[in-house]
Amino acid sequence: MFDTETEGARIELRALTKHYPGQPAPAVDNVDLDIPAGELVVFVGPSGCGKTTTMKMINRLVEPTSGEIRIGGKDVLSLQPDELRRHIGYAIQQVGLFPHLTIGQNIGLVPKLLGWPAARIAARVEELLSLVNLEPSLFHDRYPRQLSGGQQQRVGVARALAADPPVMLMDEPFGATDPITREHLQKEFVRLQKRLRKTIIFVTHDFEEAIKLGDRIVVLRERSHIAQYDTPAEILARPADDYVAGFVGQDATLKRLALLRVEDVAPAGPPQQAGLPQVAAGTSLREALDVMIAHGSDRCSSPSGVLTYTALCGAVGTGRPSSPGREPEAVPSLPAPEKVVAGGR
Amino acid sequence: MAADTLTADVLGSEASEGAGVPGAPETAGASGALTAGRARPSRRAARLRLLLTPAAVCAVLAALYAWVSAQDLDSIEQRSLNPSVILTKAAEHLEMTLAATALVVVIAIPLGIVASRSRNRIATPVILTAANLGQAVPCIGLLVLCTFLMGVGFQTALVGLVAYSVLPVLRNTMIGVQQVDPALVEAARGMGMTRGQVLRRVELRLAVPAILAGLRTALVLTVGVATLGAFVAAGGFGELIINGLKLNRMPVTVVGGVLTACIAFLIDWLGALAENVLKPRGL
Repeated sequence: MFDTETEGARIELRALTKHYPGQPAPAVDNVDLDIPAGELVVFVGPSGCGKTTTMKMINRLVEPTSGEIRIGGKDVLSLQPDELRRHIGYAIQQVGLFPHLTIGQNIGLVPKLLGWPAARIAARVEELLSLVNLEPSLFHDRYPRQLSGGQQQRVGVARALAADPPVMLMDEPFGATDPITREHLQKEFVRLQKRLRKTIIFVTHDFEEAIKLGDRIVVLRERSHIAQYDTPAEILARPADDYVAGFVGQDATLKRLALLRVEDVAPAGPPQQAGLPQVAAGTSLREALDVMIAHGSDRCSSPSGVLTYTALCGAVGTGRPSSPGREPEAVPSLPAPEKVVAGGR
Repeated sequence: MAADTLTADVLGSEASEGAGVPGAPETAGASGALTAGRARPSRRAARLRLLLTPAAVCAVLAALYAWVSAQDLDSIEQRSLNPSVILTKAAEHLEMTLAATALVVVIAIPLGIVASRSRNRIATPVILTAANLGQAVPCIGLLVLCTFLMGVGFQTALVGLVAYSVLPVLRNTMIGVQQVDPALVEAARGMGMTRGQVLRRVELRLAVPAILAGLRTALVLTVGVATLGAFVAAGGFGELIINGLKLNRMPVTVVGGVLTACIAFLIDWLGALAENVLKPRGL
């Protein structure tokens, strides 16, 4: 259907508007947005800001009043909606697994709608179950109610991936799980997306989740107006206005530290110094700072060298430790946003 | 225990038939007892009940046979109470019941689906009112009206029966489809199912338990109301009941009443079996 099957496709929204009849103002007002192929873009905003409506217009569960949507250069509004949806992965918060079908049947549904031969569907289902870390022999013939919430969410993601769509839409897919399961699912999902490089639109109202998952974040305000569209590091470092700053919260610097890992800072000195608190190379700077505070030390040791408090401040561009406070432009050692994003994983 | 309920039931319906006003309220009362009897018990109790019903029916039939054999039957009674007449009446009764139920399935399930669609906001009340009317109008009155229009016979009885038992199937179909989690419908649409596929593969599958429950109620209702078929010369066990009353032959009435109740219980039992078999796994 789209020119680039399986690998992500570019999504373009042009003057996209949804005006429900009888409403004084449009729910989604004149949205222009480019989503690069293979990126995970998070729509974040308060409830009722139109983020879900915007997303649902892309697979036409909601028909736009006006505007244009292109996926991989193709005009979505000229396609047959049901056929279009079979080529766009879709996962929702309530998961929506069909209780009367087995896990295998649930995952194989879209391939079946697309008319794949049975053998190919069976192979694909096995592959997907393994991909989301569910043992195929154990789960294939179970029914959804026999699974825990987290397991159901994984099946939901597997089902959305079933036909290997270039584009996936996800509406708070981890919203209904407990914090521990959620964290786990998010980590797995980030790993998965690194491999698959789909174009994903991910809707959430949780800014923390947006930072963890997004290659880019779209902060939306009322009527789906875009307040800021940028990488997580950039939004944390330079929120466009008070509205975005409110979303970021008071601990923006700490959040930025969480995006960086110890090995990205290239600390000086010999590795693994005895007598200093030890951290692993993959630890985030935020966790490293936590270790330092816990030990009352201004440095800690990692396999790649000694990390000092000064280096830590330098990494987020906040100057010397003797003069705390935010001077984002003062220190030029701020890593390029793209690199920060890559390092954040 | 079930046998007790059974006899009480039979006596109840007998009393109502005996009063000469075999209208809707009495029959509804009798089947009300039947419906109350299958308020969902635990799984083990349900399994036990599955064995109990046929056993109780067999016991009642044996008792009935013994009682009738002990009676001194006169020539009038012998003309009704012999195997060939009873088998003929049983066949007529079942034929009426099954034909009416088949028609109800064809009429009520599609109407229930139509009524369940949120798009049909205007049609739904109309359909529901019509179905309610069918059950509210006394069946015997409807049968008399139909007799004026179509004469006596099987078809006339069928009209009355169908009108009477459409409501439970229609209502249950409608509710069964409506109670499907909207998230499932959204997921199905989002995956690219057409509206027809969503209806057939998701909504109707998940409504199966509700539809079957409605069908079971309708069947039991129909067995009871089919006794009224005798008034329009459609045969059935109603004929035994009415003849017994007219000719003042109590054993004939009792046999007619008890056999009707036995059929109702057996059909309800088959309905329970069907529910167990046809209910989608995983629910």
